Amino acid sequence: MIKRIAILSLLLALNSLLSAQYNTLWIPDTLSGKNFNLIIKDTFAQMRTGNQTITGGINNNKFWGPTMFFNKGDTVRMNVKNKLNDSTTLHWHGMHLPAVMDGGPHQVIPPGTTWQPYWKVANNASTYWYHPHLHEMTLQQITKGIGGFIIVRDAQEAALKLPRTYGVDDIPLALTSRSYTSANVFTITDNKTISEYGDYMLVNGTPNPQVSLPKQYVRLRILNAEIERGYNLGFSDNRTFYLITNDQGLINLPLAVTRVPIMVGERVEILVNLGGDAVGSTLDLKAYNSGQAFGFPGAEPNQSGLNGSILNNKDFPILRINVTATTANPITSVPTTLANNVYWTAADATVAKTVSVTRGTNIGLAEFSFDNAAFKLTTINKTVKLNDIEKWTIKNDNIFGHSFHIHDVQFKIVDRNGSATAVGAYESGWKDNVYLVRGESVTFVAKFDDYADAVHPYMYHCHFSGHEDGGMMGQFVVTSTTGVQDIIQQNTGFSLFPNPVSDRLFFKFENAETEVYYVTIRDAVGRAVMMLPQPEIENGINTASLAKGIYFVQMMDKKTKSVVTQKFVKQ
Amino acid sequence: MKFIKVTSLFLLFNALIPKLATAQSLTPSVFGGQIADFSLKNVDNLAISLSQFKDAKGFIIVFTCNHCPFAKLYSQRYNDLNKKYQPLGVPLIAINSMDLLVYEEESFEGMQEKAQSEKFNFPYLQDANQSVGKNFNAEHTPQAYVIWKENGSWVVKYSGSVDDDGEHPKLATPFIALAVNDLLQNKPVTKPNTESFGCRIFYRK
Repeated sequence: MIKRIAILSLLLALNSLLSAQYNTLWIPDTLSGKNFNLIIKDTFAQMRTGNQTITGGINNNKFWGPTMFFNKGDTVRMNVKNKLNDSTTLHWHGMHLPAVMDGGPHQVIPPGTTWQPYWKVANNASTYWYHPHLHEMTLQQITKGIGGFIIVRDAQEAALKLPRTYGVDDIPLALTSRSYTSANVFTITDNKTISEYGDYMLVNGTPNPQVSLPKQYVRLRILNAEIERGYNLGFSDNRTFYLITNDQGLINLPLAVTRVPIMVGERVEILVNLGGDAVGSTLDLKAYNSGQAFGFPGAEPNQSGLNGSILNNKDFPILRINVTATTANPITSVPTTLANNVYWTAADATVAKTVSVTRGTNIGLAEFSFDNAAFKLTTINKTVKLNDIEKWTIKNDNIFGHSFHIHDVQFKIVDRNGSATAVGAYESGWKDNVYLVRGESVTFVAKFDDYADAVHPYMYHCHFSGHEDGGMMGQFVVTSTTGVQDIIQQNTGFSLFPNPVSDRLFFKFENAETEVYYVTIRDAVGRAVMMLPQPEIENGINTASLAKGIYFVQMMDKKTKSVVTQKFVKQ
Repeated sequence: MKFIKVTSLFLLFNALIPKLATAQSLTPSVFGGQIADFSLKNVDNLAISLSQFKDAKGFIIVFTCNHCPFAKLYSQRYNDLNKKYQPLGVPLIAINSMDLLVYEEESFEGMQEKAQSEKFNFPYLQDANQSVGKNFNAEHTPQAYVIWKENGSWVVKYSGSVDDDGEHPKLATPFIALAVNDLLQNKPVTKPNTESFGCRIFYRK
């Protein structure tokens, strides 16, 4: 694995770049294994000439975080420390996992606190990502650059002859754009005067990026990490390239295209053949955004002011590619078949639900809502039965396009505007994010399996950060029809041992049937120091990271959701 | 205001998380505003107030903190500013208004360690109840003010950033020094307001 490519080179490149036309694309560091440490923090980066820009980084990075590699079937354990000057959450976009591990708006990590979710990776090989999801703060924290890629590998994908040497012929590209004040501070839309569209492209946080790629087939893993802008991707010579994945994994057959649209939150992996290009020649990955219909985010005509950007309604370069010598064992062809996915059809669904895009109650950030109700953390908007296959129709009879994302599940788009044939070939695979065209509806089918939790909800929302913060979000719970519990007074008392503790702290329950839903450890002044969703309590809790002192364990029991507190001393 | 943070944690935690509001909802002190005297504890455990500086014509007031990566860049610059301007009647005072419950690193002991290890030649005051920060409407660390004595009152003559390049002091336009130079020559401050940026200061509601 390529570790720590160019943390320094980002700064060096940026500095040198101020005179040169292009900066070397930053390839995020990698983390792999089963245990992942992420420290989210305030930092700064030299994004432009003049003053540094305040950004949010993860671990040693300045803007955007490390790429995490997961193997399907592994249980991965996250150790997320929030060192921001603010609460945050970290959502694992596209992951199928229990709601309490999901990192949505309910899994708030206060400053200074460590959050330790874990789950078994059930997703197929594909490109996923992680980002903050704190309600009303998502726009601000994503703007700072907090986020990163997750790459899942599995046996099926590994058996294919595909480029997969990270940073060499397999390149992650997080596309976004930013504008700056005169003091080089990122601007953040107020949906009144300041635009939601950036004026300057960033790829993995690199302005004006260039990358050297070998003369062979290369794989680009492209994420639209924008605040709102869509991209209609293509290459400067209009060459054909091959779409091989949708959000949730390989599509069945490679799809030859010259353009592919990608909306906020969506990912595509493409293969592009550089085998016919001369070493030393160049090629641009571009956004062909001119002439898009109104409703395509970024198609607005104005260059400044609200909804304005100098990149609006035009074709503009994203990444300069410099062709270099062929590597050893290059990939020289596209596989004829990729996968054998069997998709749900509309006929498989036993329940139908509708979500309508509506106008919000206010102008400004609360401009849009679902079903005439702005998001409330305490309102469950939809309930789904575990293992049901459901058909959701999202109706967008409103003034603009949106990018709809649902947590937990993968779905298959079965119609657009009631027509199965109107579904694009480029969106024919498993997805978790779908473009809502202005004035149209889209219907998808999903199975809600594995994780029931009547209390902790999952989200569905517009992935435009401003829309989401403004209340264009709803939440659903998945409930189990079996094992309905009589909620009666149960003894959920427990004691802690050893106490004082120096290493692992164990629980002894007064009622052996007590199941733990959530454990929070607070210090003597009430500051949360560890948040442990559904901890594997029989293994004890590792207290090694805690300073000496008095702490309180708050344990929420799974059945009654009642909280019992006990004290312990760390020595 | 649009980015007032309402951290609402579902169920269990709702009552336990401190409610915070960002200073972005406040109007920063601007040119001409008056600042009331205050008394805060210095890292030497003694209280400091403006009125103790009998000969001061003005002050450079800097809101800073222990943990913020951007604020950390400026310690030497504060020493240099104080070394130059204190003899001219314009001492520098640094104030930490960060919320102690939210940020462990901002403890008084942490401030003492920082002042010692970075050889601060100026007072570093703890604004434990955040009242002085609120009075200045300080938004970020670092955020700098120049206040000047006029008819017995302290009047804000500059607010904003210390300079315009955190990482490269030699390349920076020294806004604070330029403002103080103007004032020492009895001239109006050429650039009385700039944008401050850094880590945000959250105020307890």
